[in-house]
Amino acid sequence: MVDYDPAIIGRVFETTEPLQVSAEMVANFCTAIGESNPLHTDADAAKKGPYAGITAPPSFAVTFRNGQHFFQHVPRYGKQGFDAGKDVEFVGPIRPGDAITLSSHVKEIYEKTGRTGSMVFVIVRTTLTNQKSEVVAHIDHRFMNRT
Amino acid sequence: MPEDNSDLNFETVKIGDELGPEEFHLSKDQVRAYARATGMWVPRFTDDEAARKEGLPGMITPGNMSLAILSKLVTDWMGASGARLTRMGTTYRQPVMPDHTLTLHGFVTDKKDIDHTAEMDIWLENEDGERLVVGTATVHFPR
Amino acid sequence: MSTTLDLHSHSEASEDSRAPLEAYLNWLKLKRADRPLDGIVLTEHRQFNQDADYRELEDKFGMLVLKASEVETDYGHVLVFGVTPEMTQRFDFANVHLPAQEVIDEVARMGGVAIPCHPGRPNVGLCEHYTKKPPLQNVIAVEVLNGGSRKGEDDRSEALVKQFGYRAIGGSDSHLVSLIGLCATRFDADVRTADDLVRELRGGAYEPVDFRPKRKPVPQAVAVEVK
Repeated sequence: MVDYDPAIIGRVFETTEPLQVSAEMVANFCTAIGESNPLHTDADAAKKGPYAGITAPPSFAVTFRNGQHFFQHVPRYGKQGFDAGKDVEFVGPIRPGDAITLSSHVKEIYEKTGRTGSMVFVIVRTTLTNQKSEVVAHIDHRFMNRT
Repeated sequence: MPEDNSDLNFETVKIGDELGPEEFHLSKDQVRAYARATGMWVPRFTDDEAARKEGLPGMITPGNMSLAILSKLVTDWMGASGARLTRMGTTYRQPVMPDHTLTLHGFVTDKKDIDHTAEMDIWLENEDGERLVVGTATVHFPR
Repeated sequence: MSTTLDLHSHSEASEDSRAPLEAYLNWLKLKRADRPLDGIVLTEHRQFNQDADYRELEDKFGMLVLKASEVETDYGHVLVFGVTPEMTQRFDFANVHLPAQEVIDEVARMGGVAIPCHPGRPNVGLCEHYTKKPPLQNVIAVEVLNGGSRKGEDDRSEALVKQFGYRAIGGSDSHLVSLIGLCATRFDADVRTADDLVRELRGGAYEPVDFRPKRKPVPQAVAVEVK
């Protein structure tokens, strides 16, 4: 069975400094994914939309970088962890001008075998909060380690 | 191309409704644009030779980009309906290699009256029909 | 009266599946013309819920829901049908290194049947293990048709069946609602219970069935220009 200190589960190990969201970042992201929805790209059209202004597409939420010490706190087993997938809860809009803070804790650790052999999965939950302390997203990162 | 789905609402959505299928060519330039836009300018996402040195078959698509592409399948389907994508889960089963024709698929699998949401399966396939990224999404419709 | 069952499926009880059981059954009702199934077998990863009772859903949808498990062994993954409390006491289903030969023999002794699944899959399928270790004894059948297989994997499973004379089953290995029932097993006999299933798998007449639509070739799409 997988060896880890149960006390790490649920304990917040990192909260980043606020990360600024610029209009340029949102525009570049939209171009990169081929997003042309005016709610995300056209200030005049977005003013008439549900959020009275441009918002980033929902998947912009996963582009924020965790802190430089993030992986020091994520338990490792065997070879380097791979991004095996994400579960994202989109709670609120992210807008140009927002400042987003990321707060992370280890949610779960489990073992299984698959095509590439024995694996340990470490699930880390990151909560994104804006400058008004509103939660805008929860992201569960699934890191796969090959043992 | 996104459909005009301004008629889409909780009442008209049916279990079994299809999203896509949508075929597109994911180019290396597009992957590089994503890497640049999101601060992920690292060898595995930008350069074939460097990616091979890391043991990969060539440069690969960031998982986050696959998530973004699949979420756009859902938000395009939502169109101007006023619905909101509230949750998305993805599993990266195989690396997504650029310079390939990919097909996006989705199906509405459930509707919940209690919270006015629809659930859907979504996935991304390569030319051989292998499902490279699979997942589900939840869409909330206004009352 | 024949019975067609998807012998390999995962509900949201399996950590990598996002499919509620009711949504599975509703989807099969919707797709009955293309996937004429009589029921499904839930083969959750590394666990077995003795207490789960699906009779209400069975009645609601007119479909059979049986319980089994997919465990992990030193010869790859194995489906265990006819799970009893004695079996879950004998083997820790959460252990990813169970001894396959013991699982096959003890499960048989305890009234069930253990069937290696997706044998053509790297690392967790029999084919690869047979290149390094002696073949298992007393294997009745293997899963030749698996809905999650990649190119070539089911072909390897077919070759294994020809070489060893194993019987063959099919299952979707679905982790998504819309993929349920794409592969299944058709039994000549009437199967209504886990005991019926074990009896038929051991000695009845059955074959894998493929309900996947024929794939059309994918045309080359035009590249999007990115500045």
